[in-house]
Amino acid sequence: MNQNPVKAVPIVYTIRGCDACVKLLRKWDAEGVAYDERRVELSQLLLDEARKYGSLVPIVVWPDGTVQQGFGDSLGCFI
Amino acid sequence: MLEATTVVTPARFEQGLLYADFLAQAKVNSDKFEKFYNDPALTDDDIAFFKKMAALPRGPSKILALAEDWCGDVYRELPTVVRIAEATGAELRVFRRDENPDIMDEYLSNNGKSRAIPVFVFYTKDHRYITHFVERSAGAHKELTGAIAEISAKLGLPPGTTYATVPDASRPMFVQELIAKITPRFAAWRKEAIQEMRTLLSTALHSPDHS
Repeated sequence: MNQNPVKAVPIVYTIRGCDACVKLLRKWDAEGVAYDERRVELSQLLLDEARKYGSLVPIVVWPDGTVQQGFGDSLGCFI
Repeated sequence: MLEATTVVTPARFEQGLLYADFLAQAKVNSDKFEKFYNDPALTDDDIAFFKKMAALPRGPSKILALAEDWCGDVYRELPTVVRIAEATGAELRVFRRDENPDIMDEYLSNNGKSRAIPVFVFYTKDHRYITHFVERSAGAHKELTGAIAEISAKLGLPPGTTYATVPDASRPMFVQELIAKITPRFAAWRKEAIQEMRTLLSTALHSPDHS
């Protein structure tokens, strides 16, 4: 039995060419926030998965199921 | 932009991807590019206009597109320009934005802060710059600004709130409302983009658009 359960982290769907995505990850990295990044520009499968949650990256799916789209002062990218 | 300073020399232009090669390399959205190619939003009048422009002595013979396959604005607009190039015989070359930052730097928007795509640059046969289109029409940008003002009012935010100044606490709801408001407008924005390219070309070439 696993005595050290993995702590749930937010899933973040990103595009590395998207300024808003880069800003969010930079902020989280600076704050030490753990996350599961899924780069949608690399895979149709991941892009389709992201579209189930929204249309504007970054899309964050928090462990409690809450979804947030976009980040910061720039609009983000429609996928 | 001064022609003398552009990094897009005739030789560089020729290094751009043919649309077929861009599509072949696309990791995502091939279905979207195909869908919008098959529904290009161009009317017969639009095609006639672009052919008329292409026939002018200084008319467009070459089109540069800055694009990425993951971008919604790109898969909606690039197929339209592909159709224009096919109808007019113009040579279209596609440059991936993130692999060509020096070209992108010549077409920054939002006071030099945004690397918005698609960008379409029209050139004469002898590679003289004519005009360019970035991302979406001025009308679409105006609608976006209007939508932001409407949503701000609905959420009780101060007048003059911009996307950049939405308080963090209100941002999730704000973004949700904004997406719901502008997504249905994308089809109309495609037509407005065509009209804006018509206006840009007719103005640059001093050839009135009688549509």
